[in-house]
Amino acid sequence: MGPHMMAQVPHNLPAEPNRFVGRARDVAELSALVHEERVITLSGVGGIGKTRLALRVAARAMPGFPDGVWLVELARISRPALVVNELAEVLGVRDETPGRLLDGLRVRLRAARTLIVLDNCEHLVERCAELVAELIAECPGPAFLLTSREPLRIPGELVWRVPPLELPDDHHPDAESVLLFVERALAAGARGVPGSMDDVVRLCRALDGLPLALELAAARTSLLSPGRIADRIGDRFRLLTTGDRTAPARQRTLLATVEWSHDLLTPGERVLLRRLSVFAGLFDLELAERVCADGGILRGAELLDLLSALVDKSLVLHPGAAGRYRLLETIKQYAAERLEEAGEAAQLRDRHLRVICEELEQCYGADSLNRGMPWAAIKQAFTRGRSLLDDCRAAVDRAVESGQPVLGLRLASTALAIQAVRGDLGESVGWHERLLALDLSGMPPELVAVANGGLAYGLELGDELARAEELIVRAVEEQKRHPYTHWLGINYCVALTVFFRRGKSKEALAYLDELEAAATDHDDLFNLATVRIAQLNLALFQGRLRQAQRYGEEALAIARKTGHHWTLARALTHLGAVAEAAGDLETAMFHHASALPLLADMDNRIELARCHTKIARVAAGLRDFATAGEHVAAGLALSMQTGQRRGIVRALMALSALARAQDDIEGAVSAAAAATALREAIGQFGAPGRVQELLALARARLGEGRVALLWAQGMKQMPEEVAARALDRARSGAAAPGPAGSSALPGLRYDGLTGRERQVAGLLTRGMSNRAIALELVISPATVARHVANIMEKLGFDSRAQIAVWAAKHGMDAERT
Amino acid sequence: MDERIVMVDPDTGLKLTEEQLDERSAMATVQLRRRGVRAGDTVLICLPVGADLMIATDAVIAAGGVACPLPADLDVDTLRSRIRESGARVLISEAPRALEAADETRVRIVMGVADLGALPPYPIRRDFCTQSDRIERRSSGD
Repeated sequence: MGPHMMAQVPHNLPAEPNRFVGRARDVAELSALVHEERVITLSGVGGIGKTRLALRVAARAMPGFPDGVWLVELARISRPALVVNELAEVLGVRDETPGRLLDGLRVRLRAARTLIVLDNCEHLVERCAELVAELIAECPGPAFLLTSREPLRIPGELVWRVPPLELPDDHHPDAESVLLFVERALAAGARGVPGSMDDVVRLCRALDGLPLALELAAARTSLLSPGRIADRIGDRFRLLTTGDRTAPARQRTLLATVEWSHDLLTPGERVLLRRLSVFAGLFDLELAERVCADGGILRGAELLDLLSALVDKSLVLHPGAAGRYRLLETIKQYAAERLEEAGEAAQLRDRHLRVICEELEQCYGADSLNRGMPWAAIKQAFTRGRSLLDDCRAAVDRAVESGQPVLGLRLASTALAIQAVRGDLGESVGWHERLLALDLSGMPPELVAVANGGLAYGLELGDELARAEELIVRAVEEQKRHPYTHWLGINYCVALTVFFRRGKSKEALAYLDELEAAATDHDDLFNLATVRIAQLNLALFQGRLRQAQRYGEEALAIARKTGHHWTLARALTHLGAVAEAAGDLETAMFHHASALPLLADMDNRIELARCHTKIARVAAGLRDFATAGEHVAAGLALSMQTGQRRGIVRALMALSALARAQDDIEGAVSAAAAATALREAIGQFGAPGRVQELLALARARLGEGRVALLWAQGMKQMPEEVAARALDRARSGAAAPGPAGSSALPGLRYDGLTGRERQVAGLLTRGMSNRAIALELVISPATVARHVANIMEKLGFDSRAQIAVWAAKHGMDAERT
Repeated sequence: MDERIVMVDPDTGLKLTEEQLDERSAMATVQLRRRGVRAGDTVLICLPVGADLMIATDAVIAAGGVACPLPADLDVDTLRSRIRESGARVLISEAPRALEAADETRVRIVMGVADLGALPPYPIRRDFCTQSDRIERRSSGD
């Protein structure tokens, strides 16, 4: 693999905030081990440097993981159930049906050569153990590198105990710990440190070589000399006021250092630090101010100075200096304890809930759909809203435990807009259910109705139609008694879908008329566009093509007026479907191709995959096979990446259509068989008519027996294998029927063996023991053993017998010295 | 190959032949190297007297390492100071006391007897349909 490949490995590793010091051998060994082991856990106490080491190793190992290196930070979540969500989020897997994310992950990871770094597993160790054990059993591709105070204790886990940095001694005054301290002290602007090396050595020993303790101490060297710090911290160990006195020494050392650093803070800095612990992950200055400042002991105007002071003291991190801050996990825990101790926890978490709720509503209230904002502004608000999801989780937890359904449900409803556009509603269903289980007696009925509507939306996507119908009807009927809001419009749309899916077209049509009237009266363009699209679908279903087209054009005009790309893309794809039905493939191609960049820009990968597949079908109809192949491949790859099996089914059916258009009936049957098998596996209904028609044609052309065989093979094979083969055939114009030649096994190299090793290998074919070989070659048995191990390593064998067989095959048994 | 017996386990009476010793220590050598043991490294071995101890010792030497035996009956504090003095990166043991003593030292990897053999193969499921699909389809009765 050339260096140009390295740059292409996708990853989400952060840039290193400062120079990485020491651990050269550990990094080298671990970088090799991640390619051999499936699960490596870096274990050790907080502050020992597990995360930095893991990130370093992951970055070094990148060239060996062509499908990416992904960091999943678990410190920001508190509920075991969310580990899967977090992993899916990072890997770009979307919820196919709510609650089934894990299936999507399996699809995504099955064949992917990826390294997944799960950082800070300790508080979720049981769930992580289950999940990792399951994924390595079912997916041969991925390797896991974890950091955790406790190992997972699963079979196949290699536990790597991370030691502190090396301490100086008489022979090595420049040990790792000294280098780290001096490096950071100089970066903090300290002078005179190189002149007091004896004190530095004393301090490094007192701090046990713990990297975090060294960083905290070094951050103070612009004001205190290393000798003073060593004296003061020495006192600390005797006076430790918090924590468990029986904890391991390293943990006590760290705690004492954190406590020392904390006690040196000004009162204002202390207040801010403890209050910042309410944030789930990254936060910016504005949020920090709105949550933490109170106009009394902490004023908004001084916040920036205080925050900068905490960054200087290494207590708050400012990664990438992009205006976003966060607390290291160890510090966050300490700060959270101080918040409890100060009696401010409940108050601050309430404020966090309220601020996050307001901020999200500001970004993405339902009315933003009709504000006529330029798309760039809508997108920016959307990105901002998405970055708040970690804090939303913490806020929903607070709303549930403190019994505040109003704020909680306002938050959940607003977040729904963000989650829905991404096609990811599983978590939203959970939030709504927990919040709706609270005492709602003090809540305005129209708000409860909106929340019920939100829950129904998620349930509909999860195919729980009966429950969804009951809830959505109640939600709509209640809201009709109150002034019109966009929520009512959205709930009408959910109700339409539920009714149509349950075959209740009379009810659906009644609601459609009501919605059309209400949306028109209130100039609710977003929902009016939805009305037109629903009317289009209805007309299309009834074969009234000209009318369908008129509805589509109206939807498109509305979408252009609102400037909302989501509406625009939906109008375009539906117009494309109408053109397809009318047999006007050029127009269909034009509409679908116009929708494609809009969907790509929104990062709605599920709809994007669907759009690629549609383009492929239309292109196949236009006999533009190159374009068809390209788009079906893109759609398939996206569906694999996002773990969407329905998308894979669609891509396989498009491939079948493409093969048929190219007169490759065998390929068409195989792809249709694979699609049918997968469709049955996920319990989805398909279009049996289309498949039956294909099979009838195939039987007439190829004969009953051949078709039966192809069908059985296609049903049994892996969908991606069938797809890859079909794509190859499509690209080569179906010129070469018959199975592709099996690739030859890569030849084993044996020219890498030394002369001595070849001799030993030769003697092994005679079944000789190490002792006997030693006598024969006049060397020691230990040397023979070393040669044997070298040979095994070079050839990748794990028994002496394998060497003997191999050596005999390569004629080494006949070799003589 | 000659059936020379190199050791009889005092507790179980199981015999270790020369062939078995060669085979198992070769495998163990590969596993030690895979975990980073290089020429000149000290490897601590805290195993009861028996075949495994012999295999582990041979393997460490074959890997070019220095085998450093630790008596399993020492108390935790003594074990810990011995481990610290050795500066070893790898410890071969299954004794709970030795494992505990390895905390707060510079040992990176603790290998059990099983780790000296071949790695267990991972079961790999070959189909696309997942466990929850099957459960759901069965319970929905279609």
